[in-house]
Amino acid sequence: MAVLWSKLSAVLPPNEEEFPLQFSDKVESSVVSVLQQSRRQLYSDATSTDRTLTAQIILDLSWEKLNTGTWRDVDKEWRRVYSYGCLFKVAALCREHPSADEILQGIRTCDMGLLMGAAIMDNVLQVLVQILQEETERPRVPVIKDEQAVPRIKCPSLESFKSDYLLPLRPVILEATADHWPAFNEHPWSVEYLRSVAGCRTVPVEVGSRYTDEEWSQTLLTVNEFIDQYVLNRVSDGAKAVGYLAQHQLFDQIPELKEDIRIPDYCCLGDGDEDDITVNQNFLVQVVGSKYIRLYSPEDTDKLYPHQSSLLHNTSQVEVENPDTERFPEFARAPYLECVLQPGDVLFIPVQHWHYIRSLELSFSVSFWWS
Amino acid sequence: MRWFGFGFNAFGQICVHNELSKDEGRDTVSDVKIMNPTELHRNVDKSVCGRNKCLKTSQIRASWSRRVWLHVDGDSCVCLAGFGGTSVVDSSGCTDTVLSETHLTLAFSDRIESWDLQKKEKTPAWSMEIQPPTDTSGPPLSLPLVPGGYIATKPPFYRSLSPHLKAKSLALGAEHAILLSATGAVYTWGLGSHGQLGHGGLTSEEEPRAVEALWGMPMKHVVTGGWHCACISDGADLYIWGWNESGQLGLPSQSLRKGHKEESSQQAAADCQSASINPGGKPLEGEKDKEVFISIQAFPALLDISPSCEIRTVSCGSRHTAAVTATGDLYTWGWGEYGQLGHKNLISTDEPQCVDFFKEQKLYVVDVVCGPWNTFTAVGEEEVKLS
Repeated sequence: MAVLWSKLSAVLPPNEEEFPLQFSDKVESSVVSVLQQSRRQLYSDATSTDRTLTAQIILDLSWEKLNTGTWRDVDKEWRRVYSYGCLFKVAALCREHPSADEILQGIRTCDMGLLMGAAIMDNVLQVLVQILQEETERPRVPVIKDEQAVPRIKCPSLESFKSDYLLPLRPVILEATADHWPAFNEHPWSVEYLRSVAGCRTVPVEVGSRYTDEEWSQTLLTVNEFIDQYVLNRVSDGAKAVGYLAQHQLFDQIPELKEDIRIPDYCCLGDGDEDDITVNQNFLVQVVGSKYIRLYSPEDTDKLYPHQSSLLHNTSQVEVENPDTERFPEFARAPYLECVLQPGDVLFIPVQHWHYIRSLELSFSVSFWWS
Repeated sequence: MRWFGFGFNAFGQICVHNELSKDEGRDTVSDVKIMNPTELHRNVDKSVCGRNKCLKTSQIRASWSRRVWLHVDGDSCVCLAGFGGTSVVDSSGCTDTVLSETHLTLAFSDRIESWDLQKKEKTPAWSMEIQPPTDTSGPPLSLPLVPGGYIATKPPFYRSLSPHLKAKSLALGAEHAILLSATGAVYTWGLGSHGQLGHGGLTSEEEPRAVEALWGMPMKHVVTGGWHCACISDGADLYIWGWNESGQLGLPSQSLRKGHKEESSQQAAADCQSASINPGGKPLEGEKDKEVFISIQAFPALLDISPSCEIRTVSCGSRHTAAVTATGDLYTWGWGEYGQLGHKNLISTDEPQCVDFFKEQKLYVVDVVCGPWNTFTAVGEEEVKLS
């Protein structure tokens, strides 16, 4: 059972028999039958579609009652019915691994019930909305546990980096290694700087939270459009999705930006073939903002449940920060290293290491692939 | 006449659910929301209705969870479907029906009866005797009108009406009423908070008040929806007023457009394909970009459904409207989330659209009756155009 649902259902009656549904005669028996149907579906293995459908019928009907006559004349029973509709709808939305958007919808539904409905079941909607709200306020900056932290060292020699990290393929963060970049000094990178240097240039943008999403897609935008629609959320239509400027030789296309960065010295330890990303070492340099990163060793691939298809065979099916423990039981046993990468940090990601990255705020990073 | 139904069907009031899903207590979306016009079975249950002659359904009425149909064929027969199952009501001699969520009202030549649908009793909850009309000059009154007044949807059932109104027909919404007099004048009363009285404001009226904007234009048919009214003039024009939050007036609705924007892009693409017929009425000034949205239309507006088309009849659901043209086409608009517009989707629209199903099947629509969230249409032989 998903973690969120276990918290929500703990607040609801344990079974159908103990779930109260009492109404005055004002509520016709046909309406009560639909409410009873929702209650039945709550405790049976109905589909999410069916549960949502039944809840919506209750909401649509009670909404009409709430809009009939003057507000103060609306019978309190109909407001209670509306609250029950909200309750059943939230339960349907947040039951099976809700997305962040579904959780927000659930919060909005609770609020509609609190605003327009009347208290039911010891004000259960108030309790539910708080659980949901906590879910969205999950630690913005994850707390890094020492025993799982990616080690940090300051400017190691080439030899010690090679022997301690490169050859054994161990991740490490090199601090103070990129400090001299113009991107941190003469031309500090920012949204405005990027606009001024490359605003009218067209770049590929990936749209969608995960590239395993059905709605993931790629599009071409100018840097200005990308910033307006996805970074600053200025345009209302595009704002909901996440946009990512990635996997792209930006610096070949826009050499002015290339002037602001420097290839890390350690790359000379490689022998030069940089074309195939997946069989190369990687330095990920954080320039603006911060990213939460988790790294898993290729030795633990069997616990990471990669997709079968050839297109996605190097992508895990697991939602790393909200894993489905029923479908992916071994994932919890996969060891990992984690870090919050700050501006100036250079992260060494050894070849074939699995990586999970979540931007904690607006973020620019530069990747160097080398071997 | 053959009848078709589409829209809300959670209680099997249009057609009975697949037996399997019924047993498991599951409603699949396609059972609950019927998007394609579906023919109503004529002999739904021979054992129930018990007569081979149950072929001529002459009248259908629908409430939120039920449908009633009246067969008048020599003797008459009233059948109920929906919540509570299918049943026949003891009703020989019944000439007219009215259905609310709680009561079924039947008119006979000598009496009116109201049956409480929530209790299974052997006698009507209320009844009154009426005198058979002495003068046969005019057509018989149709429910909810009765001699001297009308039958309301909740007690007290009988309400009197002033004879000077010369009531010819009456339609009742939840909180408002519209009356057509023998002279073609229209009167409204009740709550006015959503402009549904058509007097130009939002105030309520306790007594019938003439809709002055229609003065001088005789009307021949009046109907109500949840929060709107519609009427047809002698010249077969359609006038409409009230709340437009779901586009039920056929005028540009901002809340509708906003709701569409928030949905997936697939939905938006489908919207763009819908026919863009300009509703008539007050000409929208300015360029197309600066569209004027109307959420409440407090005065009657003339609605041009399709160019030079006469409207034969109209009916309103809770938040949608359906009209039949003199050429046998059905147009629907307004709230469509339960399939009640019959356009094979669940999209609401503020632009009247023809229900292609009937055209495709070469069926000539002659009548339409709306329940709160569904629509029933009668098709018949092509008739001589009314002059």
